[in-house]
Amino acid sequence: MEMLLMGACLSMFGLAITCLAFGAATRREEDQSGHKAAPAVERETLKPAVMPRFFVEPPVVLPLAARSRVPIEALLLQIESHVRLEQAAAESFLECPNASLLHSRTISPLVN
Amino acid sequence: MVNMDLLQGLDEDEATRVLELGKRMTVESGGVLFRLGDRADSLYLVARGRIRLTLPIEVRGRSENVLVEEEGSGHTVGWSALTPPYRFTLTASAPFETEVVAIEREALAAYFAAHPQTGQAVSLNLAGVIGRRLQVIQAMWVREVQRMVELRCA
Repeated sequence: MEMLLMGACLSMFGLAITCLAFGAATRREEDQSGHKAAPAVERETLKPAVMPRFFVEPPVVLPLAARSRVPIEALLLQIESHVRLEQAAAESFLECPNASLLHSRTISPLVN
Repeated sequence: MVNMDLLQGLDEDEATRVLELGKRMTVESGGVLFRLGDRADSLYLVARGRIRLTLPIEVRGRSENVLVEEEGSGHTVGWSALTPPYRFTLTASAPFETEVVAIEREALAAYFAAHPQTGQAVSLNLAGVIGRRLQVIQAMWVREVQRMVELRCA
């Protein structure tokens, strides 16, 4: 009987220690998660910027003329020059129609 | 005058008679011959100088007349006068003093009815002028589409 009581007491003691240990371990994890809450938020906010974006159009590369704020008169002159060059290229193509002449490169500053 | 694209293949007398149907006009430097949307009752043969054909394009929120085509002496502009709905689809202006011969559609039609052979020759020349412009514009358009494709696939 004494042995049985001793065994029960030891079991209860062991259970109590286990509960305390479990409680301490759990509290430490909560504390750690509390301290690191801010970086976690930061990480979350940063994530979309570095995530690969599928089905999103590639950034449009604007021609030099559109990017720089050149005076409107200069821009109009560039357009005129572009039209003349393109007309000349189209006429060369019509003289001798072939794919390479059709898609010959232009020196127009409007598109370079 | 016989070197005019519309009069190719006509002998000098015939060409002169066609030109006599028209009226010589001088467009001052910077002057407008016709505007986009105007009624097109006459076509114009450029006798001397240059005509700029422009279309309005929005540039930084401003409507600007941008050059589409330029025609020098011997060339014809304003053939909208011969095709319904007889409205000009471009604006024509002179960058410097330019002389044109304006021929009214009705005068031309009446002359062609009386002189069918001349009418046929001029009509074929006109078809050539229109066809050539169409081909040039088509090639220019394809080149722009090609550039657009290259930009999107870059």
